[in-house]
Amino acid sequence: MNRILIDAAIAADSSSSFWSDGNINSKILLLALILVMSIVLIAVLVVLRAFRVVLQVTLPEVVEEEKKQKVLKKELSKTKRKAFWNKLMGLRPIEEEKDQIMDHAYDGIEELDNPTPAWFMGLFYGTILFGVVYLSVYHVFGIGASQDQEYAHEMAVAEKERQLFLASQANNVDENNVEQDKSPETIAAGAAAFQTNCAVCHGDKGQGGIGPNLTDDYWLHGGDVKAIFKTIKYGVPDKGMVPWQSQLSPLQIAQVSNFILSLRGTKPPGAKEPQGELVMPETNSPEEPADEATIKEAEEKAI
Amino acid sequence: MQLEKFNYDNKIVRNFGIATIVWGIVGMTVGLLVAVQLIWPFMNLDNQYTTFGRVRPLHTNAVIFAFVGNAIFMGVYYALQRLLKARMFSDVLSYIHFWGWQLIIVAAAITLPLGITTSHEYAELEWPIDIAITLIWVVFGINMFGTIIKRRERHMYVAIWFWIATFVTVAVLHIVNSFELPISAWKSYYLYAGVQDALVQWWYGHNAVAFFLTTPFLGLMYYYLPKMANRPIYSYKLSILHFWSLIFIYIWAGPHHLLYTALPGWAQSLGVVFSIMLIAPSWGGMINGLLTLRGAWDKVRTEPILKFMVVSLTCYGMATFEGPMLSLKQVNAIAHFTDWIVAHVHVGALGFNGFMVFAVLYWLIPRIYKTEIYSKKWVSAHFWIGTLGILFYAIPMYWAAVVQGLMWKEFTPEGVLKYPNFLETTLQIIPMHMMRAIGGALYLAGVILMTVNLAKTMLRSKLVANEPAEAPALEPITKNEPTLHRRLERKPILFLVLALIAILIGGMVEMMPTFMISSNVPTISSVKPYSPLELQGRDLYIREGCVNCHSQMIRPFRSETVRYGEFSKAGEFVYDHPFLWGSKRTGPDLHRVGKKYPNKWHYDHLLDPTITSPGSIMPAYPWLIEQELDISTTPTKINAMRTLGVPYPAGYEDKANDDLLKQANEIAEDLKANQVEVLPTSEIVAITAYLQRLGTDIKVKAEDTQEVAKKD
Repeated sequence: MNRILIDAAIAADSSSSFWSDGNINSKILLLALILVMSIVLIAVLVVLRAFRVVLQVTLPEVVEEEKKQKVLKKELSKTKRKAFWNKLMGLRPIEEEKDQIMDHAYDGIEELDNPTPAWFMGLFYGTILFGVVYLSVYHVFGIGASQDQEYAHEMAVAEKERQLFLASQANNVDENNVEQDKSPETIAAGAAAFQTNCAVCHGDKGQGGIGPNLTDDYWLHGGDVKAIFKTIKYGVPDKGMVPWQSQLSPLQIAQVSNFILSLRGTKPPGAKEPQGELVMPETNSPEEPADEATIKEAEEKAI
Repeated sequence: MQLEKFNYDNKIVRNFGIATIVWGIVGMTVGLLVAVQLIWPFMNLDNQYTTFGRVRPLHTNAVIFAFVGNAIFMGVYYALQRLLKARMFSDVLSYIHFWGWQLIIVAAAITLPLGITTSHEYAELEWPIDIAITLIWVVFGINMFGTIIKRRERHMYVAIWFWIATFVTVAVLHIVNSFELPISAWKSYYLYAGVQDALVQWWYGHNAVAFFLTTPFLGLMYYYLPKMANRPIYSYKLSILHFWSLIFIYIWAGPHHLLYTALPGWAQSLGVVFSIMLIAPSWGGMINGLLTLRGAWDKVRTEPILKFMVVSLTCYGMATFEGPMLSLKQVNAIAHFTDWIVAHVHVGALGFNGFMVFAVLYWLIPRIYKTEIYSKKWVSAHFWIGTLGILFYAIPMYWAAVVQGLMWKEFTPEGVLKYPNFLETTLQIIPMHMMRAIGGALYLAGVILMTVNLAKTMLRSKLVANEPAEAPALEPITKNEPTLHRRLERKPILFLVLALIAILIGGMVEMMPTFMISSNVPTISSVKPYSPLELQGRDLYIREGCVNCHSQMIRPFRSETVRYGEFSKAGEFVYDHPFLWGSKRTGPDLHRVGKKYPNKWHYDHLLDPTITSPGSIMPAYPWLIEQELDISTTPTKINAMRTLGVPYPAGYEDKANDDLLKQANEIAEDLKANQVEVLPTSEIVAITAYLQRLGTDIKVKAEDTQEVAKKD
């Protein structure tokens, strides 16, 4: 029996591995134990009930007395509880109300001369104390931070956390080290981000709209991957291009930049007229011929 | 002792009662409309007069000043006569009061949809109506004090203390918050600007809740609850304590509406601590009411009117605990600008005010008609429908607030916003807004049931217009009063003066330094007055009620500066008459929207917001394109602004329209370059100019300083 209990205890201890390990014996043993214990419990309850019945039949006056005691006890605790409640609320027993009625009445409305409840006064003085302490902390002793200090602290902590996270991540790219990447995964991810964030102004195919056309060879702020990354990241606020660095992660900005590069020369319908300077694509790329296929694949994926 | 015979005027009570019911249904129906507009933008009915920004103030004004206002007058006119054992001072004044108030409400219902608004929340009505309100309020005051003077009861009961405080404080609040410079029949500018204007407005807004929605209702509670339950008031001492502490402390708490804004820190802290100190005085009213029911709880089980009262007081207790909690800066940081505040005020308005009004109506109408209520079962049904309505309203709104508030603040580990697109957070809570609309509809259904019940009650009998009563004439004072306060209770004018002093202290301490000491609003040299076109655009922004959904106050939190840009500084608002900080973000903050998007974006967005923001619930504003700007008002507006201290050069009003047209042409040219033909004088050009200016003054400064640095 001891052996079983120990087994069960061990099993319970390592509950996470219990159902996954192969020890079927311990499972059976545990189930058997639960079953046996339940039967014993039921048996005890049945026996107890039987004893009660026997007692009622053989000694009814004892049972009657017991019942009376119980009711009495209940009533006593009820009045006690009420007294406690009244004390807490500062209430006098309702029977004494007659003595408390004040000697005036308005249109038949009488008033009682009850004191203000003690807990109420405690609450009131407590809140006043809170007020004094609060003002002292923030405006007398200067312990509490002002909202500007709180803000500076919040920003510093967030920046530190962000740096730590980025350092531990592969996507720590910025406008200085971003490289062109024509892999279909990158292009597809970039296409998805483009559709949700950029298409509203630049058109769903990059043909331009509120913002400039992204499919031609003319660029306002530079047409290589680093320049595009920079434009997306910091925006061009004077011309209405929003900075995206707080909304897209560095990796996403790189993906979108690469997707935009992949649009070059697609000549979508309704393209906006070219703006900016002519920037010829890099021609020394060895993978040039594969480009079109990659774009198609990427677009299909994005859709 | 000689008994004098006189009559109570029940007709005025009945009239205010009917007005309460009618305006209640109107106000709540409009409320339901605006709730539905937040789910389906097409419910704006493609019409400028029924668009959210104009209709939402109509809802708040209708329920506060029309429904609740008439209910106060109904309850006061009935109880005051009986508590003082005298007929109202003058039937003529009662008549003027009644019809004057109804005319004011009609004027509000006409002007607000027309876009005639001052933009101060709960004080939107323009200056002619403000004057009318002042006059009618004075009529009410004379009528009330006249009745008090000719009373046949030596002392004033606690209910009357609350009504005296209501009268004097509302008068002060209304007058100070209506200091406007009229520039035409229906347009004015507030004397104060920016931070000061915000402080005055929320001192007013918060205390309108205190002295229009709270103190008159505590007065009603002190009369009607003991009457309904036939029980004595629990504690006279508690009445004195909580009355004086309530009116003294309440007035200080206004700045809790402006936590983490450009309001000076010391004023914010005063708002916090006085809000916390307000818990006990507020609860004093609730516990004095609930303990008055001591020994009568068996009646609550069978009497639906008492059920209404119990829920009303419970809602009061919840709202007055919730309010101070929301005033803690840490809680406010999350809850402010969300639906939490909307839920909070509705627990107060639907629960505390609404339910007490219903109880009083059910109790009072059968009495002045000398009959029984038509159906007690319907009263009970109304109670349950109404309670369900409140729950369906409040719970989804709390839920929505937490969901949206947390979404606004969530960052990814990369340090970018998890939900950078504001719209995503709006769409997330639309199901909750649907539940809220259902809650509101249930509540309205209960009111309609009440209306039928009360109409049938009235029709089965006849009004006792003049109810005979008798009371002994006032005897000369022979005995010494046991306490000072007891002596004060028979001196109404002294009482009025002391209440006035109590409510003036808090307001003075907070406002005087903010107005007088310049360090409280540090100036920024690069902040310049609006150009004439921007000024006109700003007035359109006010007309369309944009401030109802868009704040112009970026708080100093990472989640806000990353989303919107640099946090707002006090010095940026010095030319803002009035301030437009807003109190709710149904849409994103706009303080730094200037130059963020091209003009074409704003054109598309106002023409149809779903072009630039698919799924947006913002209504479309096509009339801004069709309507032409009235530039004949420009010189008057420039002059008015100069009078208020905006440094336009002398004689600029004559050149203002040239500048206006020049700037308008530039924007029109830019739009033309983007394939949009629009008249330079169309309204959309002006509002675009204003939006493009917003928050840009300190951006300019940053560039300037950079250039200077380079030269060095």
